Amino acid sequence: MNLSYRAFYVWKRNLVAYKRFILPTLLVSLGEPFFYLVAMGLGLGAYMGLFGGVPYIQFLAPGLLISSCMLTSTFECLYDSFVRMIHEKIYSSLIVTPISAEDVVAGDILWGAFRGIISGLLMYLIAALLGAVPVSFGVIIELILLMVLTGFLFGSMAMIVTAYAPNFDFFNYYTQLLISPMFFFSGVFFPLEKFPVWIQQLSLFLPLTHAVTLSRAIVAGKFGWALVGNLAVLLVLSVIAFYLAVISMKRRLIK
Amino acid sequence: MIITARELVKKFGGLTAVDGIDFAIAPGECFGFLGPNGAGKTTTVRMIHCVSPKSGGELKVFGRDASVDDREIKKMVGVIPQENNLDADLTVHENLMLFADFFDLPRAEAKPRIRELLEFVELTGRMESKIDELSGGMKRRLLIARALINQPKLVIADEPTTGLDPQARHLIWQRLRELKKRGVTLVLTTQYMEEAEQICDRIIIMFKGKIIREGVPARLIEEEFGREMIEVKDSNDQAYHRPATLEDVFLKLTGRGLIE
Repeated sequence: MNLSYRAFYVWKRNLVAYKRFILPTLLVSLGEPFFYLVAMGLGLGAYMGLFGGVPYIQFLAPGLLISSCMLTSTFECLYDSFVRMIHEKIYSSLIVTPISAEDVVAGDILWGAFRGIISGLLMYLIAALLGAVPVSFGVIIELILLMVLTGFLFGSMAMIVTAYAPNFDFFNYYTQLLISPMFFFSGVFFPLEKFPVWIQQLSLFLPLTHAVTLSRAIVAGKFGWALVGNLAVLLVLSVIAFYLAVISMKRRLIK
Repeated sequence: MIITARELVKKFGGLTAVDGIDFAIAPGECFGFLGPNGAGKTTTVRMIHCVSPKSGGELKVFGRDASVDDREIKKMVGVIPQENNLDADLTVHENLMLFADFFDLPRAEAKPRIRELLEFVELTGRMESKIDELSGGMKRRLLIARALINQPKLVIADEPTTGLDPQARHLIWQRLRELKKRGVTLVLTTQYMEEAEQICDRIIIMFKGKIIREGVPARLIEEEFGREMIEVKDSNDQAYHRPATLEDVFLKLTGRGLIE
């Protein structure tokens, strides 16, 4: 692993380029989860009683904001990274400088995570305006830390897919077969307890389940030792995914 | 010697792109790799600037092993790529400013240097242009400016004038010669014989991964043909008396068949 602080330069390059796309991309990354929050939280929620002791929108918001982080970093490290690598040839221009291939991959994953955090925070803002989440400094800091981890993990996972992608169509396998089901079987929209046991066990293998559990605990102010296991799963998966992303991407960049 | 290669080999799976070549390039020299498509020129220079690991043999750049000290070597090298990979999301100035960052150049030093470089490639006044607004020749000149941001001792130009019109080509040749005058070592690949005759002190002709001739352009022509030659055209049975060119040498050595 030939990693250095220069990964930060890659992140910075993306930030400078991002200035021009800030509005459209914010709208896109807000879009889907925002409509879920309004449609399901307010619309569907109106027909439901309390959900684990709270109104439905309060149950939904913590899961949605962390999913928003997941989706944004995933799409950033799939489509946007692919465009930078193949269409814009940014990666090839970077690796002739002292920036190594490893720095490029790490920098792009950090960028994906950063974009995820921004989306998650926007979602938090909207949820707060709707009164669905408590507004407190402690909660925001804890959520940001969780989003760093979530964004980094899903950015790394997406980057592995990008490393093998011959074209855009390839991403559908990943988004349709893994990311979309994860959205529904990770306890974002309803608790997993009523599912058959085998689905509950299966959901433990989905990283989003652990992120949602943590997010809900943070928002409820019940973050504690019982959640160390969830945190450990995210940490271990992050390390593995990042490592695989770097070596598979390096193989593609350095020939 | 600034670059030395011994028995250098590069394989892509079963394909041998560079097949055990030896060469040495002296400081201040302009050295050209010539050859048809697929001869192994680009692969060789990519190994020199450390973005493609060798499969065998030895390659030293600035006395350092190219497969070990890649970061140190890359700090001292400027690369003018074959295809435009300027950052289309950024302006001319932002492109150069970010590259200055990549080489850890402080802002205070970067600013005057960018101004000088834009002057050097005649792009002053284009600072805030977007990349899409530049012509092909301008883009190539900006690539040259970008390659010089770290004041490299060695500049590698991979087919620097392919696809440009004659005016743009001459301006680029002039700039490359200017760099040579300043003591920069130049390594270039080209398919244009004229380009090699214009700027190279020494050339290597590569074919199918091997070096088939090496020498000073003018002397190579003399060795193969003498000073002048007679060209006979099949179509009208007429003979032309003309000076021999490097192109004649090239065709004689690599054959007239289409290479694909």
